Amino acid sequence: MKRSTTRLGILLAIIFSISIVNFTVAAEPMPEIKIAGQFGLVYAPLMIADKLQIFEKNGLKPVWKEYGSGAAVREALISGEADVGFMGIPPFLIGWDKGCPWKVAMGFVVVPVGLVTNNPRIKSLKDFKPSDKIAVPSPGSVQHILLAMAAEKELGSPNALDTNIMAMPHPDAVAALISKKGLAAHFTTPPYLFEELNQPGFHLVSSDKSIFGRPFSFNVGVASKKFHDEKPLEYLGFVKAINNSFAWLNGNMPAAATILAPEFKLTPQKTLQYLKWPGMDYTTRAYGLMEFAYFMKRAGFLKKIPTNANEIIWENVKL
Amino acid sequence: MPNLKVTNSKTFHQILFILSLMISWELLARIGQLPALLFPPVSSILHELWAQTINGELIHRTGFSLYLIGVGLGLAIILALLLTILAACVPLISEWVQVLMAVLHPLPGIAILPIVILWLGTGPQSIIAVIVMSAVWPLVANLLTGIKTIPITQIEVGKNLGLTGLRLVWSILLPGAFPHILSGLRVGWARAWQAAVAAEMVFGASGGEGGLGWFIYKERFFMEITAVFAGMIVIVLIGLIVERLLFEVIELKTVRRWGMTTN
Repeated sequence: MKRSTTRLGILLAIIFSISIVNFTVAAEPMPEIKIAGQFGLVYAPLMIADKLQIFEKNGLKPVWKEYGSGAAVREALISGEADVGFMGIPPFLIGWDKGCPWKVAMGFVVVPVGLVTNNPRIKSLKDFKPSDKIAVPSPGSVQHILLAMAAEKELGSPNALDTNIMAMPHPDAVAALISKKGLAAHFTTPPYLFEELNQPGFHLVSSDKSIFGRPFSFNVGVASKKFHDEKPLEYLGFVKAINNSFAWLNGNMPAAATILAPEFKLTPQKTLQYLKWPGMDYTTRAYGLMEFAYFMKRAGFLKKIPTNANEIIWENVKL
Repeated sequence: MPNLKVTNSKTFHQILFILSLMISWELLARIGQLPALLFPPVSSILHELWAQTINGELIHRTGFSLYLIGVGLGLAIILALLLTILAACVPLISEWVQVLMAVLHPLPGIAILPIVILWLGTGPQSIIAVIVMSAVWPLVANLLTGIKTIPITQIEVGKNLGLTGLRLVWSILLPGAFPHILSGLRVGWARAWQAAVAAEMVFGASGGEGGLGWFIYKERFFMEITAVFAGMIVIVLIGLIVERLLFEVIELKTVRRWGMTTN
């Protein structure tokens, strides 16, 4: 009798411990991925991924971090505050030039970019006087580099407008331009670009079409060598989640507009109009990497550049 | 000259300390596993400092910063003098100034930048406004305390000797209040420097006309971390030079010679 109780006890203990093991396996937390993004219509796929829990469905627990510039995202990646991040091609290349061990994991959205003014005197870059300030989000941003490209094309030198540049966050620049306080023009992106062009008297001086000639990825997803090599499953999960998010966004624009509208403080109708604006292309193909590299080297923004794009992309990226 | 000797040995000890700090930094950066991206060796910072000085960039930026501070601090001093004189003469205004000071002194000058941009736009005038705002209240506070702490007996003695008006101010009030005036100037200068650099780094100022704050801001975006350090070194050097060559000399020639402070 006593023996059988002991046996029962052992049996129970075994069952109990097995169930504990099972339990702990099932409850093991999903691996975390720290994602550094920014704000704007470009980052709509990240917002969708957040709202629809697309990372969770791919076995990752996302930790979202928002920064004010590509340089800040770059610093977050370098300091280990983020595993992956989204920034323009120029900030990525500047980091690569300085020895950051990272590559492009995906292209991230093609959007129209434009130089907008409300000064009727300014029709082209030649009309800018030294006192006419042009706002760009920051030195070394996509907008700054595009302005330098335009200056090289139209004025003969990439530095021709250097003294006109003023670094300003988009919302401040919109306010300064509308109130006509010390700002002549603003190099900007959606939704700010669309909002400004909807204002009476605002017009485009120059745009990505005339400057770059063909579509380029406004941002790229960047992953460090450490993350890519040491956490291959997380890396693949990241790429898959972003692809899923883009696919859902492209297939469900009206529903996406309803989800995103409160984020941009716009109506769903307006958000849908912005999402479908000509020139918007939610694609993960990476365009324009080498074009930026060649120009930035020529203009002195970079000391070295890759011999070809394969040097700076991970194996999954489609050019 | 016992004073000079003490100063010299103090300077020597301080230079020795800074040198040993720099050497250990250099060693840490060279031996350690720290990535140069985050922690560049002192030698490459000094090299960058030299290169940026030779090409004129740092000199131009420093000049512009000093110009902004000169104008801003000058305006702040004039404003502080006017407020103090008015407050000293009219008791009602003295109360108003004290209320203003209580409200505005704790407000960092940089905090008013968003409003200043809306009112004055984005040019140098906005940065000057922030500098004035930062420097004027410590100046007023010190000037008022200086005047209040002059012993009544000294003023009475002056009056008994037949001093009135400006001569009373020049011979009794100014020297009596001078230790406070000097510390007001020191705080005002430090606040003005901080405000000038901070304002340019917060809203980026403008490319053509930018001082050291803009220099550091811009180099950060191009990931020129050595240049960021170089800009910081220039700021420190100017702070040291002004403290050592201006304020300490003034102090030696005035309040110390008059025997108003120990140490």
